[in-house]
Amino acid sequence: MPEAQRPDIRLTGVSKSFGGPAGEIPAVAPLDLRLAGGSMTALVGPSGCGKSTLLRLIAGLERPSTGEIRIGEETPDDLRKRAALSVAFQDAALLPWRTVAGNVALGRSLARRPRDAGAVSELIDLVGLSGFEARRPAELSGGMRQRAAIARAMASAPELLLLDEPFGALDELTRDRLNAELPALWEAHGATSVLVTHSVAEAVRLADRILVLSPRPARIAADITVELPRPRDGVVLASEAFRETCGQVSAALRDGQPPDRLAAQ
Amino acid sequence: MSGAVAQSGGFAARLPGGGLIAALMAVVLWEVVARLTVQSFFIAAPSAILAHMVDHAGLLWRAFTVTLWAAVRGFVWGNLAGVLMALLVVLVPRAERLVSTLALLVFCLPLVATGPILRVLYGPGEGPQVTLAALAVYYTTFLPVLVGLRAAPQGWFDLVRSYGRGRMVALREVRLPAALPYLVAGLQIAAPAAFLGAMVGEFTGAERGLGVLTVRALRALDLPATWSIAVIASAVSVLAFAAVGWAGRRLDLAPPQVLLASPVETRQSRWRGPGEALLALVVTLTLWKGAMELFALPRFFAKRPEDVWAYMVSGPGAEAHRAELLGAMAETLAFTAPGYLAGLALGAGLAIALTLAPRAAALTMPVAIALRSIPIVATAPLIVWALGRGAAGTIAVVAVMIFFPTLVACLHGLARTPRAVLDLFEVYAAGRWRRMLGAQLPAMLPAFFASARMAIPAAILAVTTAEWLATGRGVGALMATVASTSDYGMLWSAIALIGLVAVFVHGLVGALERWVLSRTNAEQMAR
Repeated sequence: MPEAQRPDIRLTGVSKSFGGPAGEIPAVAPLDLRLAGGSMTALVGPSGCGKSTLLRLIAGLERPSTGEIRIGEETPDDLRKRAALSVAFQDAALLPWRTVAGNVALGRSLARRPRDAGAVSELIDLVGLSGFEARRPAELSGGMRQRAAIARAMASAPELLLLDEPFGALDELTRDRLNAELPALWEAHGATSVLVTHSVAEAVRLADRILVLSPRPARIAADITVELPRPRDGVVLASEAFRETCGQVSAALRDGQPPDRLAAQ
Repeated sequence: MSGAVAQSGGFAARLPGGGLIAALMAVVLWEVVARLTVQSFFIAAPSAILAHMVDHAGLLWRAFTVTLWAAVRGFVWGNLAGVLMALLVVLVPRAERLVSTLALLVFCLPLVATGPILRVLYGPGEGPQVTLAALAVYYTTFLPVLVGLRAAPQGWFDLVRSYGRGRMVALREVRLPAALPYLVAGLQIAAPAAFLGAMVGEFTGAERGLGVLTVRALRALDLPATWSIAVIASAVSVLAFAAVGWAGRRLDLAPPQVLLASPVETRQSRWRGPGEALLALVVTLTLWKGAMELFALPRFFAKRPEDVWAYMVSGPGAEAHRAELLGAMAETLAFTAPGYLAGLALGAGLAIALTLAPRAAALTMPVAIALRSIPIVATAPLIVWALGRGAAGTIAVVAVMIFFPTLVACLHGLARTPRAVLDLFEVYAAGRWRRMLGAQLPAMLPAFFASARMAIPAAILAVTTAEWLATGRGVGALMATVASTSDYGMLWSAIALIGLVAVFVHGLVGALERWVLSRTNAEQMAR
């Protein structure tokens, strides 16, 4: 099993605050956390709660204000230096002068992997962009861009895959299809994955574990293990257990809200 | 050089469909007016110009090829320098203020004065022409390329970082491709500017070239010859502008988003600004002196900073020198300031008027872009002949020089008003004046101020050239006189004073810009 080979992610006393004109604004409260290697963890929380910041901390794109992050013995920087992690960014971050194929291939070349046109077209096929290889990002819909970004993130076969609301701009149908198809792919890679999403159903469908974050600064409001069997096909999705878990996550999201916002709802 | 603010419209600039007919009608009108005003000795008729060109085809062609070759070499060197400076600033951000200030300072040096000095330095040959052509283009490439290298969104850099790759990979994969459209826009402005720079370089004692013919024609008051050269220079400029634009379109580049960013105001202590200004001054003086000592240039013409100080302040006759230079400078400024302000006001005003009447704008924009590339300076003698040697002529030259770039920049700024903001005004059925005041004018301001800053060197070039070639007054004429009498103390003093004034005015406009934009366009100031 590939999962056994992947080291855990450990966060010890990790916090992050940003300096602003009105002083320090805390984004992530001190957190202690252990994410199992090879697992898929979903971070769920209200908009602006700091879940993307937490993801960027794990990616090493932001420095924690306090505490430290380790993936096994390594820091996020070590992982980045050997191109062992990749990020699918919320805004896709495709380079407009590269074609779809060029952008996906960039995921390999930035990671210093040899050129492999076959692997690239396989990934493009997987995210349903066959026939669009030669198009530029400007010619794609928002959903297609995000799919290209996901293909690029997977192109380097990362050990740690960080997905920042990668399906945010997708229509329900495409989102559903990707939710169904992608787990098989990253299970094959055996990557440890962290997914930021605000869709409860998506989190329950994809993740082994769901961390519900409170509004800013981010704290763990609930830590829910998803016990549903895989693959999570139509039968699982229609099951009582699936609905129950969704209800559990939704309730935790509500409980995480400050009282005045609860009252307003 | 007709200014520095490029515009994305340039990529698609074409004369409208009826352009040919309109041009023909203009030529006919020109002919008629010229024949009616034949006594006033100002306008040469197209027939006379054509006759002159045909009669002197060989001479003009030889002169043209000489000037063109100098311009091409200057174009290459100048743009190379501009790109390398922008790369330096991006890779060593701390050097930005210093490099920018020095770049501005050198760009503000009056070609009228640097020409004769370069002539002495290089001796006979094409060195001065090539150098002046390079000096005329590097700044207008440096600025947009710098903006382009920085225009990429943070997410693209995060992408590169997320694979553990460094600044060089970011430069190769992100910054350079992102800067390419900006480079094309810069090159587009540079193409006519290089030709003009080469011509000005030839004014100062070259043996051959269109610049030489210009000086000769002016001295002889040869109207058809002067007009012929102005027509050739204008045609070359428009063609060069169009050719680079065409090449840019062939590259299938996305048009640049913003061309000249506002100065970035990071939070800094109040001493940092003056501190950096002082540093720039020290570095300038060191480079000035160092270069001269390094190449062991003769003190006779290569005046060191201390020589200028002695000439103007401590040495014998300093008081008389000071009085002469400051008097000339005051006269020049009295003509430059109204021209500068009038050019800006007319450019911005017409841009606003055209935006309020969008159909007129669609017709005017391509014409304005084409006219912008005409070397106004080459036509300066004609304007002065028309309006006289007094205030009106000089003010008009400066105003015309600034007018077109400002118009194009402001139109571009106005057109960049966010669609969603315009929709919002539409939803509330706001009239076009409300829309102008509330949405479009704030969108125009950054472009306006950028062109106001860029107009400073343009104004200096215009006024000194007009004074030198035509009016015989002010600091431009003074520099021409002292250059011919080898009074290099005065020449260097004039250069130093003009540089100081230019940097000071630039700082003043920059401060005004920050003050206004921080009140109207807060988001433009953040980065």
